[in-house]
Amino acid sequence: MIRKRTGSTLGVGERRSVTIGIGMLAWIVALLWIFPVAWTVFTSFKTEQDAATQTLSQGLSLGRYSDVAHAIPGTLSLETAFMNSLVVVLVSTLIVLLLALPAAYALAIRPIHRWRDVLFFFISTKFLPIVASIFPIYVYAEKWNLIGTRTVLIVLYIAINLPLAIWMLRSFFMEVPRELIEAAEIDGTNLFNQLRQVILPLAGPGIAATALLCVIFAWNEYFYALQLNFASGSTMPQWVITNVSTRGNFLAKLSAASVIACLPVVLAGWAAQKRMIRGLSMGAIK
Amino acid sequence: MASVQYDEATRLYPGTPKPAVDKLNLTIDDGELLVLVGPSGSGKSTALRMLAGLEPLDGGHILIGGKDVSNIRPRERDIAMVFQNYALYPNLDVAQNMGFALKQQGVPKHERAQRVREVAKLLDLEPYLDRKPRNLSGGQRQRVAMGRAIVRRPQVYLMDEPLSNLDAKLRVQTRAELVELQRRLAVTTVYVTHDQVEAMTMGHRVAVLRDGDLQQVDAPSKLYHEPSNLFVAGFIGSPAMNMLPVSVGTVVNVAGTDIKIGDTVERGRRATLGFRPESVLIGESGPIPARIRLVEDLGSELFVHLTIDHEGAEHRIVAKVDAPFAGQAEENVHITLRGAVHLFDETEARRATVKL
Amino acid sequence: MTAAAADAALPRGRAKDPFSSPWRRRLPLLPALLYVIAITQLPFVVSIYYSFTNLKDKTQSLIPEPTKFVGIDNYKQIFSDPFFRDAMWTSVKMTVLAVVLSLLFGTLFAVLLDRKFIGQGVIRTLLITPFLLMPVVAALIWKQQMFSSLFGVLNKALNFVGLNSVQFISDHPLASIVTVLVWQWTPFMMLIMLAGLQSQPGDVLEAASVDGANALGIFRQLTLPHLRRYLELGALLGSIYIVQAFDAIDVMTGGGPGSTNVPYYVYEESIGGGFRYGSASAYAIVVVVFSIVIATFALRVLSSLFRDEERA
Repeated sequence: MIRKRTGSTLGVGERRSVTIGIGMLAWIVALLWIFPVAWTVFTSFKTEQDAATQTLSQGLSLGRYSDVAHAIPGTLSLETAFMNSLVVVLVSTLIVLLLALPAAYALAIRPIHRWRDVLFFFISTKFLPIVASIFPIYVYAEKWNLIGTRTVLIVLYIAINLPLAIWMLRSFFMEVPRELIEAAEIDGTNLFNQLRQVILPLAGPGIAATALLCVIFAWNEYFYALQLNFASGSTMPQWVITNVSTRGNFLAKLSAASVIACLPVVLAGWAAQKRMIRGLSMGAIK
Repeated sequence: MASVQYDEATRLYPGTPKPAVDKLNLTIDDGELLVLVGPSGSGKSTALRMLAGLEPLDGGHILIGGKDVSNIRPRERDIAMVFQNYALYPNLDVAQNMGFALKQQGVPKHERAQRVREVAKLLDLEPYLDRKPRNLSGGQRQRVAMGRAIVRRPQVYLMDEPLSNLDAKLRVQTRAELVELQRRLAVTTVYVTHDQVEAMTMGHRVAVLRDGDLQQVDAPSKLYHEPSNLFVAGFIGSPAMNMLPVSVGTVVNVAGTDIKIGDTVERGRRATLGFRPESVLIGESGPIPARIRLVEDLGSELFVHLTIDHEGAEHRIVAKVDAPFAGQAEENVHITLRGAVHLFDETEARRATVKL
Repeated sequence: MTAAAADAALPRGRAKDPFSSPWRRRLPLLPALLYVIAITQLPFVVSIYYSFTNLKDKTQSLIPEPTKFVGIDNYKQIFSDPFFRDAMWTSVKMTVLAVVLSLLFGTLFAVLLDRKFIGQGVIRTLLITPFLLMPVVAALIWKQQMFSSLFGVLNKALNFVGLNSVQFISDHPLASIVTVLVWQWTPFMMLIMLAGLQSQPGDVLEAASVDGANALGIFRQLTLPHLRRYLELGALLGSIYIVQAFDAIDVMTGGGPGSTNVPYYVYEESIGGGFRYGSASAYAIVVVVFSIVIATFALRVLSSLFRDEERA
């Protein structure tokens, strides 16, 4: 039986002083790496003057956040952008799961013969640069009056996230032991009940991790949202950009806007990082 | 309760030259515990899975209770299976695990609970009914797996090496309990194992498989005393039967001593002489000189490994003696053959058995 | 593929269900498959059609031209376009640098983090944050807070020690963009490599240690080979996303020599300013052909990953 490994890599049985030393090094590295983010958060509480000159004479406040939250008429407001993003992300992720779960079943539990070809096809769609297809998509979106709607983004985000979702869900399904499914079959369950009572409970955490990754990529998506929307009807990434151009290069306000825009996904990612690790690496490797 | 019949059942994995199970003909009587035994790759698990419906049939039929189930799904065959790794549902507790199949059948809640409780009592699982599998020991999990099968009252029980993941002592104990249980419930059971000791102690009859072919199916004692071929003779019994190559004449010569063997094998041909460790007597005097290599002392009996000079080469044989035994390694002794001695011809079939 | 060979190619542990027909097994896959084909392949086919025309946005030119079929003119023009060659070269540089550097840093961080010390979980949480940020926000942060010659922290620090300010973005556009990409993708690589490190069986490492190998030796001869599959996975997934990098370029440099990669170039040719849709489509097709070539290479990597899964 292989003992699960916890702890040191480089030296098995590292000396404690080495571990502490490396620990401190890790802290320093992490703090340096995160510095741009920390600095931005810090700046978001400053006044514009302080932000521009890197001083702190006027103290810290939430003033910039309220500035940014109030819409300038005629431009994208926080409420609109937030609602758009929320709806687009949740609906597209839900539909991704509805499509990807059966597909993963067909690739993992009762696999079809050409499972490898199919998987490769799905991944290969991500090799196609989206800039290559934006024009035809634009043309048809315009024809069907879909420019500026949430629908067009939902449709596109589903296509963007499906390959990744299928890849990850398949590998989580593969982890369900064959014997368990056989036992369920012998015990009298049909296909649907096997899925519901045995497979899904076991793959639950994996499904959550997959959904999270889809949410991250959909929330942060900029290109399609930019091209297929009016300036006043877009999603959160666009809202951050409008805080650059319409309000001038005001660092503090920009920082506040950035923090607001990124916060939901960052919090979700923090909460689910362990699951994400498993999900990412279980992609093709046991 | 039903009989089981394999009728020319065959399973050939695509891309392999030989079937994993080759035209198996085997009938298991109602209420019988039949053990399928053999080395790995012998096809025993495959044969079991074919009965379960988890492997397709590439030829032949399988019948349960006289009905041809070859094209019927596992869940409609009214069978219950105990897996080697137990396959307990991790998200359900013990009671739910055991009641799972009943729930699928639509058995009402109170009847389900009652049947589960009955079986839990039978298997000493009552204190654990609300625990999840991950909080159980190996032995407890094994019993839950058994309970899950028993509660269903199926026509046939299928067991795929259910004891191999238990530690040695628990295995021996559970083995006895299992046999007692099966005799009591009197449900037809097909039991797969690679351990010939399990096979001998548990089965009403034992079927020995090798490379997909059925070698012999008989009661344990018959397998032991009347093995039909060399493979069965060498597989059943521990330590294994001693085997020496011999030439057949009017007599057979073993290390300088002649043994009368009768007329069953043509003169002038080669054959194999087999005799079990308990047929070897060690003493100061005797027809065959030997040298002790190693003495294994198990307390009540000892296994003595010796070498003899036979047909110009050194051969090792093993003798079983009762305690006390004074011999030591490197000692020169003499051995006598007593009791049953078997002769196997060139096709490995048993041709004769002589009592010395 | 013959039925026999295909059956043997099923992933390990997934025996063929004897009671379901091939079409029943394919059915659950169809919705997702059809959807992806419709949304990704159809626009591509339409692009092929456009690439043989001289389609332009008529509102953008004084003398409107009627749209007509021009055969392979667009394609011929591509091969004599020096800017496209630059864009391809920039793409290669950008992708290779970003992927390799983020793999390097990611592995380093994973090695640092692969032990128990105080705050290990907190550090990991902090480190993955850049990956969770919007790419446009990440680009903005670096553009305004770090690289800016007026407000930027880096220049302030340089001045502090007496050095002159550096115009990071204007003088070093490619490096600036690669910096942002590496900053965001290192955590992703780190997570993958962490999984790789933690999946090493402890027994083997202990045996090596008992046999007298030192830390570096163990790493070089045991850990690195084991990590190869994870490195391949990271490189594959990272490349897929990084080769399409758009947001950082749009925000930081708006295109311009040295920082325009192929996606951005095609974008500029079509709805990003050129409005020459016919020719942009031709560019896009050429890019797709290249992608297929690269994808075939990636297929071999994928196949070996799948094969390992079967063997495992």
